[in-house]
Amino acid sequence: MKISRRDFIKVSIAGAASTVLVGCQPNQRYVELEPYVVPPEEAVAGQATWYATTCGMTPAGNGIIVRVMNGRAVKIEGNPEHPLNRGKLDALGQAGLQLLYHPDRLHGPVVQETPGRREFKPLHWNEAVNILAENVKRAGAGLAIWAGLTTSGHLVDLFKRFAKATDAPAPVFYDLYAALHSYDALASACGGALPTYDIRRADLVFAFGDFLGSGPNPVYYGVQFGAFRGQALGKRGYLAQFEPRMSITGAVADRWVPVKPGHEALAAGAMARIIAEEGFGGAERAARAGELAPEVDVAAVAEACDLEAEALVKLARAFAEAANPVAIPGGAPAGADNGVEATKAVQILNAIAGVGPLAPGVIPPGITPTTPSTFAEAQALIEKMQNGEVQTLLVYGANPVYELPEAAGFRQALNKVETVVSFSPIIDETAAWAHMVLPERTYLEGWGYRVVTANTGRTIISSRQPVVVPFYQDEATGPAYSTGDVLLTIARGIPDAIAALPWTDEVAYLKQMVGALPAGAYGGSDPDTRWARYLQHGGWWPAEDAEPAASIMELAPVKVKAAASQGEANEYPLYLHVYTPVMLGDGRGASLPWLQGSPDPMTTMTWRSWVEINPQTAHNMGIKDGDILKVTSPYGSIEAPAYVYPAIRPDTVAIPAGQGHLDSGRYAKNRGANVIDLLGATTDATGENLAWSNVRVKVERTGETINLPIFEDKKGAQEHLHF
Amino acid sequence: MSEQDASGKRRWTMIVDLDKCSGCGACVVACHAENNVPIAAEDQVVADRSQHWMRIERYWEGEYPDVKARFVPVLCQHCGEAPCEPVCPVYATYHDERGGLNAMIYARCVGTRYCANNCPYRVRFFNYFDPVFAEPLNNQLNPDVTVRSAGVMEKCTFCVQRIRRAEHTAKVEGRTLADGEVLPACVQACPTGALMFGDRYDAASAVAKLLEHNGRAVRLLETLGTDPSIYYLKGGTSHVD
Repeated sequence: MKISRRDFIKVSIAGAASTVLVGCQPNQRYVELEPYVVPPEEAVAGQATWYATTCGMTPAGNGIIVRVMNGRAVKIEGNPEHPLNRGKLDALGQAGLQLLYHPDRLHGPVVQETPGRREFKPLHWNEAVNILAENVKRAGAGLAIWAGLTTSGHLVDLFKRFAKATDAPAPVFYDLYAALHSYDALASACGGALPTYDIRRADLVFAFGDFLGSGPNPVYYGVQFGAFRGQALGKRGYLAQFEPRMSITGAVADRWVPVKPGHEALAAGAMARIIAEEGFGGAERAARAGELAPEVDVAAVAEACDLEAEALVKLARAFAEAANPVAIPGGAPAGADNGVEATKAVQILNAIAGVGPLAPGVIPPGITPTTPSTFAEAQALIEKMQNGEVQTLLVYGANPVYELPEAAGFRQALNKVETVVSFSPIIDETAAWAHMVLPERTYLEGWGYRVVTANTGRTIISSRQPVVVPFYQDEATGPAYSTGDVLLTIARGIPDAIAALPWTDEVAYLKQMVGALPAGAYGGSDPDTRWARYLQHGGWWPAEDAEPAASIMELAPVKVKAAASQGEANEYPLYLHVYTPVMLGDGRGASLPWLQGSPDPMTTMTWRSWVEINPQTAHNMGIKDGDILKVTSPYGSIEAPAYVYPAIRPDTVAIPAGQGHLDSGRYAKNRGANVIDLLGATTDATGENLAWSNVRVKVERTGETINLPIFEDKKGAQEHLHF
Repeated sequence: MSEQDASGKRRWTMIVDLDKCSGCGACVVACHAENNVPIAAEDQVVADRSQHWMRIERYWEGEYPDVKARFVPVLCQHCGEAPCEPVCPVYATYHDERGGLNAMIYARCVGTRYCANNCPYRVRFFNYFDPVFAEPLNNQLNPDVTVRSAGVMEKCTFCVQRIRRAEHTAKVEGRTLADGEVLPACVQACPTGALMFGDRYDAASAVAKLLEHNGRAVRLLETLGTDPSIYYLKGGTSHVD
């Protein structure tokens, strides 16, 4: 018998694994990296191989194709066949390569005796899995799982099955992306589904938050925005943006409306009322407005919003008289104490126009979406930890120590947990406080799928497959386990769990679930063919309908009030506007040099946090660019340099999220400030969702000034370029 | 604009639709990834030594509350009459007659920086130091593109490696290059489709058709007579005032 090098590697790996754990061969599903003399059969020297998989940098679930040359991933692009992002990709998604090849990635599992010390010692994979198995077994119902929203659907299901089998509390799926995009409030205002709209043929859009640079689906909306603006002459889409600080969406809007923070929904309500009273847009729309828009004193609302009543009338008229208007909720209003009501107030504009959000797709059996938990559910778990009810905590794909406000108490609650296990590939802030880290493969080396969170009228299951072999396979630590395989392995030692998780490895699980899917857009008469096509095309989705189905919203009139502020106006005179910047997102981008070093589009800032302040406010306070400011809220304070920003209200300062890491690798560490330190753990009026956007602050100069790392030349800032 | 060239020459041309550009920066990162463009550390950014072959320029107009921001993606304009070309003493920067590209031979560059001095668009970048790709980040490097060393000038190439690869593939398959077959990394990534690319000499190409009698098309600093290959389409007007 001739044994090829590949067989030999397989055999030797299997041998190593089976010394401790029966039947687990974590690497058998990979094509090994080969020397050029024996190239893998699909590899042609000098020619790239492209693999379809799913982006793991944001929870959107964009389809990507990865260019692989000589076993190395060298470029990520959007998957042209993917119905969500249609071949396009954002900055975050493209930078994922640097996560794969990050110099500070862990090579294998590590343990530390004292959490927080960051004195990690390497451990063999088999030993780590055995220790975890023992801990989990001992914990029983005292097991808790905290995962982020980029978590693959198969792991979501495995986590849930595991928790259920051991009587542990249901896993929590919560991260900063979910928090700062108000997934919880948006979903509760829209019948449990995140509202997504088709704006390709809209002639007018009113948006209440950034949807092109951040938000749940920036790439999807980017593609749609191109079509919206590219319509035939006379039909070009008109965009009005209602926000206190101009986002990139505000920059491309035809009209930026700087509403007073917390009053955006009032403006929406006033416009609905104006449509009813003035009879704009024909009898039908005016009648619907009459039913849904409660009486308001338009002049008083306009004054409260700091807008001209006339402007509101003009905008209301434009909305009502447009053929296909759409209002996009989200942004800061959804994150205030009245976020659910505010979102509904915006939805009333859509109801008047007769537009509904796109219908959610039907999830086929065996497929699990990554459904976000509410902040209240996350807090309930923290409370359990504080009460000593959690013996073993597994943290996967989230970084709660960095992502949650101090007041949420997560960091302190960790002290009460016997064993904290992180699955982060890099030591992040949470891993630094863990007892053990079992580094998960990055999404470019792992298996899985994501059910796309956008409701586009049909189900999109975006596949994830390894585009390269796991990068770290150190001899000292043994062959790497994926987290799915870790779970399936430890389930074998727990009688209650083995029945719930009977698969040999995660790929067996995935093949079973995917093979059972009905024939989608790519057909396939048998499970194996469907599995192959699912991997080849980047997922499973039904063939496209000519018109995506919209869902009908049942709305009652909403009498919305202005958001209540956290912090007294006399002590904290300015509103704080927190946003997720284009490059760093919720902080996931901070560990990658391409994103740290690429200029923020609005400020051209790199490598830093900054405080955006209106020129007049800055002048009054004697603040200039680069002056280090101390920003204090009722919950804490941070320091960051000022950036004088012409498109922000004089009563507001804006600070981007994403910086201020204490760990997360060399490019993120000790850089800038974490704006989350200024937030509290207050919930909104429903008691379910985090109220993050209605905090007030005060700003003081520290006396220190730095040269800003900006790409623009501010010396010529007075000269305007006119197109 | 639809000048047909009998010799089979091309004029690679990019159109930037400013009405669609959302400033999202996808093109910037795409370019870094495709062309092995190094990222400058913070102190180097402060020293004005950052390198981005593709950048989003943002211009403010007016004052609060009637303030407007406008994005202008700027890259090498691939001028037909490039001011950077005649000043190079070693012929490192030259004009590619085949495709109208403003090309660089890195190995010839001796770093006089005359070209950057003479470029009115500020799109040429000098490597003051050898680029650092901390291991194993070097695995991300595109094998089709050189990593430039210290003392060498660099700039956007219109992803010449993609053009050459597509031309080669077409030749091997015995056919002519189809319109839309070559997409520079920035154009490929652009979510809104604000960037378009093609051969303007091919009258049937999408860019040539779009530029014909297009009242929105302008070129940057056109009065300098540089004959850039990049056309910007001005923002559109709307039905709402």
